Amino acid sequence: MRAFLLCLLVSLASIPARAAVVQIEVRPGIPASAEYLAAGTDKPAVLLLHGFLQTRTFATVATLAHGLHEAGHTVLSPTLSLGIPGRETSLACEAVHAHSLDDDVAELAGWITWLESRGHQSIVLVGHSFGSMQLLAYLARSPDPAVKGYIATSLTEAQIGDLPRAELIARLEHQIRSGDHALVTQRLSFCQNYLSTPQALLSYLRWDQARTVAALRTVPVATQLVMGDSDQHLERGWIKSLRRMRVPVAIVQGANHFMDGEHEFELLDHVLGFLQRLGGR
Amino acid sequence: MGVPGSLSIKQIALAFVIALLVLLSAIAGFAVYQTRAVTQDLSAHSRNAARAELDAAIQRLLVQGKEQATSLASWGETRQQFVMSEYHTYWRDQRVYESGMLSSKLSRVALYDASGARLAPKSAAHGLPARLPDAALRDAGWLANEAGQILLYQAFAVQGGAPQRGVLGYGLIRTDFMASLQKQQGFFFTEPDALSLVLAPGETLSTADILTHLRFSVRPDPDRLRFQEILSHTLLALFVLLLASLIVMSLVYSRLLLRPLHRLSDDIDAMQQGHVGERLRTQPLRIAELENIRRSLHEYQAQLRELHGSLEHQNREFRSQARQDALTGCHNRRAYDEDWTHFQETVKAAPQGVAFLLFDCDRFKAINDTYGHAKGDRVLSIIADAIVMALRANDRLYRLGGDEFAVFMSQATSTQARQIAQRCQSLLEAANFADLGIREPVGVSIGIAYLPAAENARVDELPKQADIAMYTAKQPGRNRIALYGEDTERGAQTLVASRETSAVFQALAAPGMIELHYQPVHALPGRKVVYYEALARIRYHGDLIMPGAFLPVVASRRLEMEFDLSVLQQADADLAAMLIPHGCGMSINLSAQSISRPEVISQLLEFSRHSAHHPLMLEITETSLITQMEEVRTYLDLLRSLNFRIAMDDFGTGYSPLRYLVDLPVDVVKFDTSLVGKLSQKNRTGRIVTDFVDMMHDAGYLLVAEGVEDEGVLRRVESLGFSHVQGYLLGRPARLSPPEFHGGEARAGIARAG
Repeated sequence: MRAFLLCLLVSLASIPARAAVVQIEVRPGIPASAEYLAAGTDKPAVLLLHGFLQTRTFATVATLAHGLHEAGHTVLSPTLSLGIPGRETSLACEAVHAHSLDDDVAELAGWITWLESRGHQSIVLVGHSFGSMQLLAYLARSPDPAVKGYIATSLTEAQIGDLPRAELIARLEHQIRSGDHALVTQRLSFCQNYLSTPQALLSYLRWDQARTVAALRTVPVATQLVMGDSDQHLERGWIKSLRRMRVPVAIVQGANHFMDGEHEFELLDHVLGFLQRLGGR
Repeated sequence: MGVPGSLSIKQIALAFVIALLVLLSAIAGFAVYQTRAVTQDLSAHSRNAARAELDAAIQRLLVQGKEQATSLASWGETRQQFVMSEYHTYWRDQRVYESGMLSSKLSRVALYDASGARLAPKSAAHGLPARLPDAALRDAGWLANEAGQILLYQAFAVQGGAPQRGVLGYGLIRTDFMASLQKQQGFFFTEPDALSLVLAPGETLSTADILTHLRFSVRPDPDRLRFQEILSHTLLALFVLLLASLIVMSLVYSRLLLRPLHRLSDDIDAMQQGHVGERLRTQPLRIAELENIRRSLHEYQAQLRELHGSLEHQNREFRSQARQDALTGCHNRRAYDEDWTHFQETVKAAPQGVAFLLFDCDRFKAINDTYGHAKGDRVLSIIADAIVMALRANDRLYRLGGDEFAVFMSQATSTQARQIAQRCQSLLEAANFADLGIREPVGVSIGIAYLPAAENARVDELPKQADIAMYTAKQPGRNRIALYGEDTERGAQTLVASRETSAVFQALAAPGMIELHYQPVHALPGRKVVYYEALARIRYHGDLIMPGAFLPVVASRRLEMEFDLSVLQQADADLAAMLIPHGCGMSINLSAQSISRPEVISQLLEFSRHSAHHPLMLEITETSLITQMEEVRTYLDLLRSLNFRIAMDDFGTGYSPLRYLVDLPVDVVKFDTSLVGKLSQKNRTGRIVTDFVDMMHDAGYLLVAEGVEDEGVLRRVESLGFSHVQGYLLGRPARLSPPEFHGGEARAGIARAG
């Protein structure tokens, strides 16, 4: 993946000191941006990834980013381009989704490289929801050595509802093999009508609960799961399944999928606790 | 009843109603004008509001387009099209609408790369151009007429998502402008379906000029229409109300004012026509003031009628008094004039036998002068009573003046008239005038004129005929009743009477007509002419009218003074012309009435200048009545002091010569012919006259014998002591001429006598 640092913009007055929006061209013609909350390098830098089709301005992510930054951590909150040049807003379900999980992983790799270029040799990946799954997909491949930890909040697989995933994957694979590039509308995560190319959709569909759990088992860095026990977005028994693994799972009592409100602080505490533990290791 | 030039109440009321109608029409016209003005103002306001509304709608449309363009330009999915154009048509034809970036299918969008080439060029782009129009780089928006469709184009640039990336490409939104405009909400004044834009096919228009090219219609404003309807209904109702009020007012006006005034006018007309009190009993007028006026007018009219009746009664009284002679109680001259005119008309209309009786008291002036006016008046009353008693029941007696009375009788015969005259004289003869101290007999002379029915056309000649008959009756020897035609020489007298009257009046107007013929008076003894008596004649149309013919006219017309003045004037002229030689005297006859008149006295004073050459003598006829004895005496004394001698003329024929001789300063007594003729008689009469002559001679009077026509009488008078004599025996009256006397020297006789 070619990642180029295009520029560093220190422009927005509303962003606190040492906060900046940075852009990189994640693919030719497609710039992407991230909020870079700089701090010292003595503490692990955090790459904080938003959820499905969201941006870094999503409340759970933004609050967590500023909490971590205030705790002395450098935080980089990228907004995945999803194939949109300079995407700054959430992408509608009905938009043409040509981006694939591979594209997302590539963009994440680019941002991790960018963090490394900023001197951060200890990087902790923190994801929310679908972003946790995307970070897990990154970790499942060959993660950068600077990545030292992984925190997945409200981790979920690529949910498709009650549809038989295998049959759907087979149909998509057939469509791809037959050269049919027609867009496919499919439920994916919270999108009931997710419009996507077959290849792109297929890249996500392969990440079912089993693959997710399997990936968790093979994550090469310290891992922490933070889940809300009132998360209605998750498949039934998912948290239980996660608990059966040897990965620590922190349960935020009463928190929903977004862990908003008073649960944001508890989430922050869990993340900071992980980071502290990781630093002391 | 209308008066020319005046207006009736009905006309005034009609004019008032017409004026009100005109005013009402003017108000209605003004209201309609105002309504139309308000309507036009509202229409103008609506049109301005529609224009503002359209302007706002256009701006909204443009802003909406700009906002759409801005949204599209910043939309991530738009940028996605420049990096992934495989699914551009989905984005263009579906996604932009589902996402709400474009609100309706009236707007279409196309994307162009940085070189201006449309993305997905092979796909249908709903008519959007394959290349970005040049205008897109200049203007943010413009309008174009494409195949009759007005399209709004709004272009926008799509940035690359990072400042360094620059422009990714462009977008072009094409909107069906008119349809979008018509679908704009909030059109209240504008009729959306009537909107149109004046733009030729193929032409473009800047968005700034849209409003000037837009044609629109103002939507009928329901409120305005409702307002107009209400206003029209209100005006109509007001007009109907005013009209109804006008009609009601007219009826009320007619009933309460016009009709009473009309009745009042009728009442006044009725009063003028004399119907008083009839209409007052009718129903009273409703208007109290008019009823008061009506009652006042009735009362005033009644008072006027009462006053008129009183005045008529007084007028009748005055008229009766005016027509009545206060002295005698019979009708006066005024009544005579009126009744005579009426009588003539009546007689001419209904021919009948008519008679005219003229009464004249004999010697009334002498009676009056002798016994005084009171007794004279009493005599006239007795005469009037006697005449009235002699008349028929319906005959009227008129006092024409002095002692003259007249009666005209209808349905009469000449016999009836003569019988009435005789009865009148019988009654007067029976009257006892002795009680008044009047010893002399009093009688009247009566002239009668009669016309049978066949000659009624000449009724106006009756007074003249009666006048002639009267003089006939008065002539000596008559029985004092004369019927014109029977007792008068009808034709000649009528001619003479009228001729003499004319002659007298003409002679007085032109003194030259009076000629003085001079009869010599001879002194005795010797028979020498010592003076001439001037005897008047009237030369009329070549004929000579003698005194016996014109003196009655002079006496009856009371022209004695005027005639005497004319005689004196002629005598003065004759003396100046020396017709009478110096030394020879002149004797002039004067009436007794003239002696007391200042004009005559003045003339005599002037005439007295001749006394130096001509002895002058004035002869007073004793038949003339001298009523103011003292005054006459004074004047005669005055004249005597001026060398006039006074002679008593015609002595022996008069009424009271002895009294005159006693009371008046008489120098000469001229014995009348009748007495002179008796001097030759040997009977008692002759002796009486002779003794009387002796007595007069002894009393110192100069005696003149008149009418001496033979030698025997001449010798007799000479023997009796008469100092002068005149008569045809010695000389007839004749005109004198100067040469006739130039040869002899006259000697004054009488003038020097005494």
